[in-house]
Amino acid sequence: MIEVRNLQKQYEDFQREPHHALCGISFEAAAGEVFGLLGPNGAGKTTALRILSTVLQPSSGSAKVDDLDVVTQSDQVRHRIGFVSSGTAVYDRMTAWEMVEYFGHLYDIEDAVLEARMEEIFDRLKMQDIRDRLGGKMSTGMKQKVSIARAIVHDPPVIILDEATAGLDVLVARAVLEIVADLRDQGKCIIYSTHIMREVERVCDRVAIMHRGKILATGTLAELRAEAPAGVKSGEMEELFFDLIQKAEASQTETALDG
Amino acid sequence: MQWKNVRLIFRREMRDQLRDRRTLFMIAVLPILFYPLLGVSFFQIAQFLREHPSRVLILGYEGTGGNLPELIRQDRFAVASGEPSSATSVQLELLPLTRLAFVRRGEWPDDDNLTAEQSKIVNRQIRALMNRYGCEAAVCFPPGFFKELESYPVRFRNHARKASQKPPPAVPRPLLVYDDSSDKKVLAHARVDRALTDWSAQVGQESLAASNLSQWAARPIEFSRFDLAEDADKINVSLWSKILPFVLLIWAVTGAFYPAIDLCAGEKERGTLETLLTSPARRGEIVLGKLFTVMLFSITTAILNLVAMAITGRVVMSQLKDLAAQADVGPPPLAALFYLALILIPIAALFSAVCLALAAFARSTKEGQYYLMPVILVTLPLILLPMAPSAELDLGFSLIPISGIVLLMRSVMEGTISELWPYAFPVLLITFSCCYLAIRWAVDQFRSEDVLFREGEKWDLGSWLIQSVRYRRPLPTVQIAVLCGVLILVLKFFLEATVDLPSTPSGIAALSLATFSWKAILLPMLTILGITLVMTFLFTGEPRKTLALRRPPALSLLAAAILAICLYPTATMLQMLISQTYAIPQQMQAMLEAVEMKLASGPGWVALILIALVPAVCEELAFRGFILTGMRHSASGQPERRWRAIVASSLFFALAHGILQQQISAFFLGLVLGYIAYHAQSVWPAILYHLTHNTTACLAHASGGLKWLENQHYLAAGLLLGGLLLGGALLLYFGRLDRQRSGPLRLDTPAMGSKPV
Repeated sequence: MIEVRNLQKQYEDFQREPHHALCGISFEAAAGEVFGLLGPNGAGKTTALRILSTVLQPSSGSAKVDDLDVVTQSDQVRHRIGFVSSGTAVYDRMTAWEMVEYFGHLYDIEDAVLEARMEEIFDRLKMQDIRDRLGGKMSTGMKQKVSIARAIVHDPPVIILDEATAGLDVLVARAVLEIVADLRDQGKCIIYSTHIMREVERVCDRVAIMHRGKILATGTLAELRAEAPAGVKSGEMEELFFDLIQKAEASQTETALDG
Repeated sequence: MQWKNVRLIFRREMRDQLRDRRTLFMIAVLPILFYPLLGVSFFQIAQFLREHPSRVLILGYEGTGGNLPELIRQDRFAVASGEPSSATSVQLELLPLTRLAFVRRGEWPDDDNLTAEQSKIVNRQIRALMNRYGCEAAVCFPPGFFKELESYPVRFRNHARKASQKPPPAVPRPLLVYDDSSDKKVLAHARVDRALTDWSAQVGQESLAASNLSQWAARPIEFSRFDLAEDADKINVSLWSKILPFVLLIWAVTGAFYPAIDLCAGEKERGTLETLLTSPARRGEIVLGKLFTVMLFSITTAILNLVAMAITGRVVMSQLKDLAAQADVGPPPLAALFYLALILIPIAALFSAVCLALAAFARSTKEGQYYLMPVILVTLPLILLPMAPSAELDLGFSLIPISGIVLLMRSVMEGTISELWPYAFPVLLITFSCCYLAIRWAVDQFRSEDVLFREGEKWDLGSWLIQSVRYRRPLPTVQIAVLCGVLILVLKFFLEATVDLPSTPSGIAALSLATFSWKAILLPMLTILGITLVMTFLFTGEPRKTLALRRPPALSLLAAAILAICLYPTATMLQMLISQTYAIPQQMQAMLEAVEMKLASGPGWVALILIALVPAVCEELAFRGFILTGMRHSASGQPERRWRAIVASSLFFALAHGILQQQISAFFLGLVLGYIAYHAQSVWPAILYHLTHNTTACLAHASGGLKWLENQHYLAAGLLLGGLLLGGALLLYFGRLDRQRSGPLRLDTPAMGSKPV
């Protein structure tokens, strides 16, 4: 469903140095799977997701969504994805219903089908009580629900969630994770980026640990735990994460000193 | 392009804006409130003027009596002239002349007017009295003034009868003391002046009547007047044709600006833009949807202002009928308003696209609002330029964006469009071309990762300069290139203002060739070169690449020289067209001729060095070296911005020239120079082209110009066409140069955009 091969993205920072936001990452994600991108801030998760959603262009490498290239077939790709950003971005002066309806129309869904689909989504996400509320008067949790509703209104096979629980309280975060699990059960391919270990353990089938634009490890949680070196507390995802990061930092320092 | 998406985005943006109270206030409420408030203020002022008479001090009024017309009745003027009448608008404070110490001391001369020194003393004493009695003006009648005035006809007749050689008797002059330092005092001055002038005229008339003379003696010729303008129009049309385009355009900019900021910078700030970009709507569709929204608000704002102004104007005029009749002002003609609204569409499209592109560039709504002032500052001179009395719609004006459309609006209102309609085509062509370019710019902004995901960090010039020097990159960035161009223009301006060059042809002629060459040519050119070199070594790590000094293919040098000769007839033709379209003022023409004569006064090789060699080296290193190299810089993975680089370097090159006519031809020359320097990846062909072009011009001028071609039309056309064909072929050769050598041109190491995440 999603195939990323040697994806690179370079920017330039103010010191005129090339900044490698992505250093040739590769991964795959299948339908009915939640693929997690786990990493600290600045790891390159958002850049990778923006490339997958066709907002940014890669410097090199390739990325395919449902066998469609994100650069050359970006129009078709956008029809097959739903994107939820970390900013709980909703229009302040539109109601929940209007917002989801607007995106439904952009996805060219017929009115009758759209209405039925929206009723179903509003029921499933428990949003009926806020359907006529303006975005500016919603709580953060309500806004994120609207974002998810907007992203799934066209029933896309791929859903991309970029730190979807950032800034949400525990209850709403839990509800969002339940929605993600529910979507996975419906056979959607979900890319879920986060820096929270517990969320990965709870919802992701496979995970890629990212740091400074590189993937340090990929696999199911069981595989990652099994590959954990001696000394890392067995079964502790967080310990494994820190161990990988420390090794990456040490290796980078060594390379810099050699260079 | 899916119009369905454009329509959807347009509808959403419209709904969004209509729910925004700030936008609604700016677009609808403000115009509806503004003009009535203005009207009310106008009433208040008029009322104030009616109800608040000016206080005027009268010194030495002894009463007119006898045969003189009455001047003062109690504490008012008896003369009722002006609106409001001086009889009610002036309150008088009458004091005897003895209140002046000057008079009490008996220093007022008996038989003559006051000397300047005496006047000064009297004025000082009168000012003290004015302050004490709260008066804004004063009139001081000399002792015995009225008696002398009354007896003047008799005295004059006696004098005439005696046929004396002495000058005729004079009447002492009263003093009118005023202080124009404030509006209130200016008004008092005007009122008292009018009353006294009218009284003086009455005295004259009555004197003529008493002498059995006709009024004809005082006003021998009375002209009949006939205004060719239709009765209904009169001055009215001329007045409205200046006011309405100004009001419409200013409100069209304002009406476009605020929605554009909210729809772009606001959406970026709220994070919804990223969401929209992941939807099936393409960037062009998003821009068009937003553009139509901004356009509609721009048009609505302008029209609402127009309507509110017309209604308020009508109400105010009907209330102040006398004032309106005096000023010959009526409501604007309805048909003209309709045509104005029609012309508003392209101008609103232009402003909307420019505002949208600027708004897309802004990181936040706050930053976006800072861009309003530059937009107004650029627009205002273009709106005000056609207000000049001599400005009328011609080819020259029709090619100037915004100014052309203002003049078109004026001619529609003044009813001269039937004569000037051929110029409507270039006006609309230029407006639509600018509109198209602005939309392209807006779409580019929406495609640029740098712009869409710019970080919201605070930018300040100081730290940017320090960082730019500390972390020098091999080649200049776009910002550094722009800074170089701006510095060249600013320093050149101040240099020209401070260098003591004569401003008359005779002054130029009086200068020695060495002094003239140094002040007029070498100093400005060395300034351009100096700035370029300082910036190269300060901001870049690879001066040779920055100034594009790499060795080009030998053939390209030869091609550049031949190209300059081939395109010379075209350049000459272009200069002629420009001079015909924008005539050079006579004084400027005389100065140019003086400069040519001065340069011709020395040896030929000196003129060639000054006119050909020095500008070719200095200007090319600056404009086709530093600035072109900086402007071609592009974001990561993006192709180089060829035309942006060529056009921007040409613009700076053009602006560095002195007069408009030179600037226009320099711009086109800059395009060719930029093109060959870009594709040759070297400044040398551009230097050679510039050198050959200027040398050819020098030699042609020395040999009497191209006058010998004037009567040989076929030969001239042949030279022009032949030159163009060969020139075109050579430009094609340059276009293929970089492809032959190393594929797509990359001057820099992989260029990268600013960090977006």
